[in-house]
Formats: sequence, structure tokens, C-alpha cells
Amino acid sequence: MVEAKNLCMRYEKGGRYALEDLNFHIDRGEFVFFVGSSGAGKSTILKLIIREIKPTNGVLKIFGRDVGRLPRHRLPYLRRNVGMVFQDFRLMEERTAFDNVAFAMVVTGSSRRNIRKRVPHVLGLVGLHDKARTRVCDLSGGEQQRVGLARAIANRPAMIIADEPTGNLDPGTTLDIMNLLRNINLRGTTVLVATHNREVVDRFKKRVLYLEDGKLVGDEQKGIYAHVH
Amino acid sequence: MFISGFFYIIGETFKGLYRNRWMCITSTGVVMVTLLMLGLFMLVNLNISHITETVKEQVEIVVYIDENADQETLDELGQRLSRHSGIAEVRYVSSDEHMSRLHRQLGAMLEGYDSGLDNPLLASYEIRTNSPESIVPMAEEFESYPGVSNVFYGQGYVENLFAVTGVIQMVGLALMVGLSITAVFLISHTIKLTVMMRKREISIMKYVGATNWFIRWPYVLEGLLMGFVGAVLPLVGLYYIYEFSVEWVEVNNLAFLTLLPAHQVITELAKYLVPLGTGLGILGSIFSMGRFLRV
Repeated sequence: MVEAKNLCMRYEKGGRYALEDLNFHIDRGEFVFFVGSSGAGKSTILKLIIREIKPTNGVLKIFGRDVGRLPRHRLPYLRRNVGMVFQDFRLMEERTAFDNVAFAMVVTGSSRRNIRKRVPHVLGLVGLHDKARTRVCDLSGGEQQRVGLARAIANRPAMIIADEPTGNLDPGTTLDIMNLLRNINLRGTTVLVATHNREVVDRFKKRVLYLEDGKLVGDEQKGIYAHVH
Repeated sequence: MFISGFFYIIGETFKGLYRNRWMCITSTGVVMVTLLMLGLFMLVNLNISHITETVKEQVEIVVYIDENADQETLDELGQRLSRHSGIAEVRYVSSDEHMSRLHRQLGAMLEGYDSGLDNPLLASYEIRTNSPESIVPMAEEFESYPGVSNVFYGQGYVENLFAVTGVIQMVGLALMVGLSITAVFLISHTIKLTVMMRKREISIMKYVGATNWFIRWPYVLEGLLMGFVGAVLPLVGLYYIYEFSVEWVEVNNLAFLTLLPAHQVITELAKYLVPLGTGLGILGSIFSMGRFLRV
């Protein structure tokens, strides 16, 4: 599902590599943590997956297609298959939870009937069935991230990527969000999480890709965070 | 795109206008003020052109006939003038008619003058030309015709009039171009600000897989509406201001100011300001978004 071959990324010509010669393969249905200290390159990988940036060298294949060569007009269709969850939630704050989730479906051309049926369902899955009509700015941080998750899964994407999804949350809420991601993964969706939250990584014991200064220094099934150092 | 997409775009347009109402009101206000200034100037300019054209049209050539010319020469002169392609209207005025005009103008001052004396006034042809600009060359041409004593067309006055109106029109054109460019800059920058305030929203749309045109449409429609309202409201204002001015001119009996009718002027302005306002609204939105769509 995700395949990197000699993947390199440099933000500035002549500058240092944010990612250097990365090689890895992620299968459908996997749950993978990208871990490492700040600046290790975790977020860069996720940005490359959604083609927010293009690789400097090497190949990154998503669903069998080289995203670096994907024409710009095809990007929306790639992103519709990749649900995204962000540390800062990136929600439209003045709109309701329902509107935020519905929006992801409207852009894919879903019918109004389908939207009316699906949105309450996914909000229910993340435990927000009673907050559908609440404006996002009136929700707590944890609830906002749940809306973000509901939005990410609304179109039944093949993959969810989450960039520090619990970075702004307290430990209790962090656990809730991670459990939701695990449940999503159990339904067959590939989940990639970039994090430096030791407790989360150690608790869930999933595959861990260790990054250090842009290099892949470890790849362990049921890994734990301690191995980073 | 499903019908939901269409309704979404229409709904988003109005929701966007409401959510960002203060910014939209500001943008529309800038469009309004800029186009009001431009419209006001155009209105003045149109009327200056109209007044000068009217004055020009009133200028005529008077060809005085040589009293010693024989009948054959006079007949030939009459035929040459009536066949001339540059002449719109030619009228023969006899020396008796000149005298009676003089009587009407001077009244009692001429009483007893005509008793027993020959009429010293010359008969003439009064000529209106097709184009006011051709008065001077045509007058010079008529002077060389046989049977012509002299030609009068307001020498000096006409040349000055044409020179002054030429300058007024050039200055007017330059100011209108300048104001139009200012309007383009002001309006597009204001719309850019409106879009910039919503760049986060645009980036979110990109992340969830919206195509560029799907994102653009509501902004384009917003730009169109802001531009349209920003153009129509000044037109309504200008209509009432202008109508008041026309009435004021009539009430104060300023007959030399022959103003254009209100509906005609406003139609002319609308032809220019409405496409300018809506066009700027649309283009301003499209171009301001470019940077934010590259996510």
C-alpha cells in the first residue's frame, strides 16, 4: 500500500536532507507508528504521502502509484482515499460537527441522502452522536479531534494518516483517540501515526518505524519507543 | 458532480458572505466608493462632451453673396452649395430677411431708418456642416467660390473652442484610465484580503480532496455578488444625484447647460461599471486564491 524506495527529501536546494534514502513497505491493514524526535522526518513522510510536498529523489508509491509523478489535477482523488488527522485538528471552527464531516463527503460528490445517513453514523462511531449540531469551536479539544477522526473516515478511505493526533490532548483523551484509531484499523483501514508519545507507542505495541535525522534506523513489529535511543 | 455539490456551492456562497459579513461589507464598500468616484467622473465627462458637441453643432458658416454677382453666378453658387457632400443643411437668407431680423433685434433703435434708403445688408447662405471639425476648411473653400463676398464662421472662437474641448477630452480620458486602474488595484487587493482571511479554510478543503474549481466556485460567486452590488448601488446613487442636478439646472434656468437625460447617462454608466465591478470581483477572487490552492 505504501512503498518507499531510496526516498529522499530536501526542503532547500543544498540544505540538509529531511529524509535520506528511506526504504520501507507498508501493507494494507497495517497499523504503523513513525517515531523519532522533533525534526527526525516523521511529518515529512506524511506530507509526502498526501503529496503536500514532492520527493527530491527516490520513489514513494501509494496504492501502487508514484505520488511524485502524480499530476496536480489527480491530487484530490488521492487525498479522498487518505483520511487525515492533524495535531491542530484543522476543522472549520465556525461550522458544526455535522458540517465538517459532511464537507469531506460533499467534495467527493456523495448524494445528499447518503450524507444525511453517513454523517450521523460516523459521528456515532467516534462517540459524538449528540454533538452533531454543535459548532466545533464550542467543543473540547478531545471532541474536536473526534470530529477530525469522523471526517477522516467519512469516505471510507483505505488509509488514515495522523500527524501527532494526540499532541494537544490530555492523557485520558489521548487514550480515547488512540483506541478509536485502533478500532478503525480493526475494520481493515491502514493507519499510519506520526508521534513522539512514548506511552502511546509502548501501550499499543504496533509496528514502529524509527527515524533519526531523516534516516530510518529501525523497523520493528510490536516495537516500543525505548528502541529509538 | 452530484446535485449536492451544486447546492453546496450555492449554499456556501451565501454562508460565506454571512460568516465573513464584515469583510464582505468592507470589500463591497471599497468597490462602491471606487466605482462611485469613477462613475461620478464619467458622468461629468459625458456631459462635458455632450455640451461641447452641442455647442459645436450650433456653429454655422455664413456665406455672404457678392451684391455685384450676376444671376448665373448666383444660381451656380446655390447649386454648388446644395450639392456639397459636407453640408447637412443650407438655407438662403435674403437681404430683406436680414433686415427684418435686425429690426427684431434692435427694435425702436432702427425706426425710420429704412424709409427711402436702399437695404445695405447682403443676402447669404447659412450652412450647417455634417462635422463641426470641418467648419474651418470648408469656410476656406467657400471663400474661393465665385459670387462669394466673404465667409463668416466665428473665426478665432471656433478654433479656440475645438482646442479647449480637445484638451478637456484628453484630460478626461487620462483621468478615467487612471481611475479605472486605481479601481482595479483597490478592488482586487480588498478581495485578496477577504480570501487571505480564509486561507485556513481553503487548505482544509484541499486536504479533504476538494478540486480547485470546487473550492473556487463559492469564492467566485461571492466575488461576483460583491462586485455586482458594489457597482449597482453607486449607479442608483448616481441616478438620484444626477436627476437632482438636472432639475437644479432647469429650475435655475441655466439654458446653456444642456445636460443629457438621466436614464441615458445611467445606462451608459451601467454598460461600463457593472461589467467592471462584477469582472473585478470574479477575477479578484480567482487570482487571489491561486497561492492558497497550491497545497
